[in-house]
Amino acid sequence: MSLEILLITAFGGALLTYLAGKVSYKGRDFLAVVISLVLVVFVACLYGKAPEKTFYSVFFGIPFILRLNMLSWFFAIAISSLGALCTIFSLSYMKGRERTNFYYLTMLVVNAAMLGIILAGDLVSFYIFWEIMSWSTFLLISYNKGPALAAGMKYIIMSIVGSLAMLVGMLSLYTTYGTLNISEISAVIASASSGYILFILIIFGIAFGIKNAVMPLHTWLPDSYAEAPSPFTAVLSGMLTRMGVYGFLLLMYVIVGLHNVITPRLLSYHYILAWLGAITIVIPTFIAMLQNDAKKLLAWHGIGQGGYMILGIAFGTSLGVAGGIFHTLNHAIYIALLFMSVGAVQYRTGGERDLNSLGGLIKKMPIAFIGGLLGIAGLMGVPLTNGFVSKWLIYKTLILQRSPFLAFAALIGTWGTILSVYKFLHNMFLGQLPEKYENVKPAPFSMQLPIIILSAAILLFGILPGIVLKVINAIETSFGFESLNVTLWGITSESGTLNTINIFFAVLIVGIIVWTVFRLGAKSVSVRQDDSYAAGAHIPKDKYHYTSEFYNPLYRMIKPFLRDVIDEFYYWIASSVQRLSGSVRRVYAGDVGYYVMYIILFLAFLIFVQLKWKLW
Amino acid sequence: MVTKVMQIILSPVLALIVGVFFLGLARKIIARIHWRYGPPLVQPVIDMIRLFYQKSVSHGRMFDLGIILSLAGSIVVVLFLPFGKMCPLSSSGGLLVILYIMLLAPLGMALSGGEGANPNISIGISRKLILSLGYEVPLLLVLLAVMTHYKTISIMEVVNVQQSTSWSIISFPLFLSGLSYFLILPAILGIRPFDVSSAPQEISSGPMAEYGGKYLALATIEHAFVLFISIALFVNLFLGGAANPVIFFVKMLVVFVLGLCINAVFPRFRIEQAIKYLWKWPTLLAFLGLIITMAIRS
Repeated sequence: MSLEILLITAFGGALLTYLAGKVSYKGRDFLAVVISLVLVVFVACLYGKAPEKTFYSVFFGIPFILRLNMLSWFFAIAISSLGALCTIFSLSYMKGRERTNFYYLTMLVVNAAMLGIILAGDLVSFYIFWEIMSWSTFLLISYNKGPALAAGMKYIIMSIVGSLAMLVGMLSLYTTYGTLNISEISAVIASASSGYILFILIIFGIAFGIKNAVMPLHTWLPDSYAEAPSPFTAVLSGMLTRMGVYGFLLLMYVIVGLHNVITPRLLSYHYILAWLGAITIVIPTFIAMLQNDAKKLLAWHGIGQGGYMILGIAFGTSLGVAGGIFHTLNHAIYIALLFMSVGAVQYRTGGERDLNSLGGLIKKMPIAFIGGLLGIAGLMGVPLTNGFVSKWLIYKTLILQRSPFLAFAALIGTWGTILSVYKFLHNMFLGQLPEKYENVKPAPFSMQLPIIILSAAILLFGILPGIVLKVINAIETSFGFESLNVTLWGITSESGTLNTINIFFAVLIVGIIVWTVFRLGAKSVSVRQDDSYAAGAHIPKDKYHYTSEFYNPLYRMIKPFLRDVIDEFYYWIASSVQRLSGSVRRVYAGDVGYYVMYIILFLAFLIFVQLKWKLW
Repeated sequence: MVTKVMQIILSPVLALIVGVFFLGLARKIIARIHWRYGPPLVQPVIDMIRLFYQKSVSHGRMFDLGIILSLAGSIVVVLFLPFGKMCPLSSSGGLLVILYIMLLAPLGMALSGGEGANPNISIGISRKLILSLGYEVPLLLVLLAVMTHYKTISIMEVVNVQQSTSWSIISFPLFLSGLSYFLILPAILGIRPFDVSSAPQEISSGPMAEYGGKYLALATIEHAFVLFISIALFVNLFLGGAANPVIFFVKMLVVFVLGLCINAVFPRFRIEQAIKYLWKWPTLLAFLGLIITMAIRS
C-alpha cells in the first residue's frame, strides 16, 4: 500500500467516473461512491505508518516527494470520509440536473487534489496540487451559473493572489537553500535571520490566510459558499477551506518550527495572528445574524469558526494547538451536517433557501431537523457536542496565557452564534408551516444517511473526545510540544480538568428524571399549529412570518458597525483597475497609422534622450 | 462514594427549595413595597401542584422536549456549583462548563417556544436572546477577570482561595467586577426592570404564552433554579462562598433581597434601553476591572 497508488486511485477514479457517466448514470453514481469509499478504507489502513517516496526529475529536476505523517493522516481521513459522505449526499441532490458527469469529475478531483496537498513532501508538488484544487473548486462554485459565476470569479482572483504569494515564498526559499523539500528546509531554516523567517511566515501566511478566509482576506467566502451546489458547499466549508489551517500548521510548526515562531524577536507574529483570529471570530459572527439566506448565514459562520482555529494554533501551546486542530475536524463535521440539512430542505422545497419563506418543516422532515439541531449545537459548542471540547481547549489556553481579551472575543463570538443559529433553525424547521409546504416529503435515504452518520459523530466526539485527542497528541509530539494528559473522556491538567463523561451522565440521569416527572403530570392534548393563544385576537394563518426581522431592535443598534468595509475596499480596487485598464485600452485604437505614430514618437524620444544626455 | 451520591441528590433538592422560597418571597416583598398584603409564602408550591393536575396543550415533540431540556440543563448546572462546601461535580471543566451548560435553559425554552408558532412567543424569544447577549458582554468580562485574577478556571479553587484570604468583592480590582455583576443580576434573573421577555401585560408572558398545566409548572421550577444559580454564582465568586450551606443560604438571601428592593421600584425597560444600559455602566466597570486585574497580574 503506497501513497502513489492512493493518489492514482483518487485521480484515476475521478476520470473513470466521468467516462462511466458517458455510458450509464447509474453505473457512474455507483462508481463514484465506491471510489470515495475505497479511499476512506485506503487511508484508514495507513494509520500509524509513515511511508515516504521520492520521484526524481519530474519537474526541472526537482524531486517530487510523497510522504505521510500523523498530521497528514489526520487530515487525510477527514478529507476522504467527508468526501465519501458528500458524494453519497450528491446522488439524489444532483439527480436530473445537467452536466452531472462534469460535477462528479470535479468533485472527485477536488478530493484527490486535497489528498495530494497533504501527502506532498515538497513545496513544488504542494503547489501543483494546491492549484489543481483551486481551479477545480472554481469550476464547481460556478456550476450553477448566474450569480455563481461572479462568486467563482471572486474566489479564483483571490486564490490567484494567494498562489502568487506562495510562489514568491517558494522561489525565495529555493534561491536561498537550493531545495524545496519540506524536511530539508525545516532543518536549515533555524539558522536564518529573524527578518527572513518573518518574511516567509508572512508571505505564506497570505496564501493560507486567503484560503482559510482570515479577516481581512475573507471576502471571497460568503458568495462562494452560498452559490455552490449544497453537497459541494459541505466539502468546501468542511475541508477545502481548512487546507488553510493545514497550511498554517505546516508553515508554523513543521517548516519554521515551534521555537522560531513563538520567540518574541519575531515581532510577535503569533500574537498578531491571534488577534486577526479574534477579529475573524467576532465580526463575521455578528454579520451572520443579519443574514436571511440560510447558506449565507452558515457561510459567515464558516469564516467565524475559522477564527477559532487560527486563535488556537497561533498561540503555540500544546493545549491551544490541540484545540485548533480538533476544532478543524469538529467544524468539518457540523458545518457539513448543516449544509446537508439545508441541502435536504432545498431539495424538497424547490431550492428555497430564503429563511423568511420557510418554516414548520420539523413535522415533515424530522431527520433533517435532527441534523440541523445537532449541527447548531456543535456550532455553538453546547456541552456533549464535539464543538464544546475544542472550544474549551482554546478558551482555557487563552485564559491561562493571560489573554482574557482574546478569550472574551472568542466567548462573545459564541453568544453571537446562538442568536443567529437559533434564527436559522427556527425559520426553517419551527414556527408555522406555510400551506405550500403541506405536502413536503422527508429527504430520500441517500440524503438521510450522511446526516445520520454526521449527527452520530457529533455526539460521539463530544462525549468521548479522547478518540480524536489521542491522534492529535501524536501530532503534537511530532511538532515538539509536550504531550497532553489525555483520557478517553477529556483532559487532565493542574489548572482545571475536563471530564465529559461526568457531564454526559449528569445530563442523561437528570433528563430521565425530568422526563418522568413530565410524564407523571396530567396528559396534554395535541393541537393544530394555528390553534394558539393570542389574547383574544385572531392570528392570521399564512399571512406573515413571525421571525422575519427577528432581531430588529438589535439590528438598529449594531447594523452601522457591521458593514463589510473590506469587501467594499476590494471592489473599489477592482473597479479602479478596470477604469485604469479602460483608459489604457484607448491607446490601442486599432488603426495601423496610430501604431506607426507611437513607434516614431518613441524613436524620437530615444534620439532626444541620446542627444541631450549621451547615455549610450 | 456514598457522600458523593448523597451530595448529588441533595444539592438539586436544596437548590429547588431555596429557589421556590425565593419565588414566594419575591412576591411577598414586592407586594409590601406596593402596599399590598401579598400571597402566602408557599403560594408558588400550591400553584405548581395545582398546575400538574391541570390540562395543557402540546404543539409537538420539540415543544415537549424543549421544556424538559431547559429544566434538565438548569438542574445540571446546580451539580457543578459549590453550595457551601458541597460540590458534587467540581472537577469536570470548571467555570467554562458552567457557563456553557447555563446555555441549555434558554435554548431549550427557545426551541420549545419555537414550535408553539405564536407571535407572542416569537417576540418574547427574540427579546430574551437579545437581552442575554446584552448581559453576557459584562458577565463574560466579569468571569474572565475572576479567572485571570485567580489563575484558574475551577470555581472550587476560587472559593477556596477566598476562604483563606479575603472576599473578592472587597479586594481591589475585583470589586469593580463584583459591582458590575450585581448591576446585571436583575437582567440575568429576568426580573424588573428587565422582564422584557416575559412582560405579561404586553406579550402574554412571551415564551410561556402557549404553556399551561405541567408545562407552566416545569417552567416555574426552571425559573426557581435560574434564581438559585445566578445568585449562587455571585456568592461563590465574590462573597467567598461559605463553609456550610446555612451561611451560604444567608448570603444568598441578603443578595436577593437587596437586589429585589432596588429593582422593584423601577418600571420596565424597553429592550433597546435595556441593552443600552447593560452595555454602558456594567460593561465599563467590568472592562476596567479586567484591565486592572491584567495589569496587576502581569
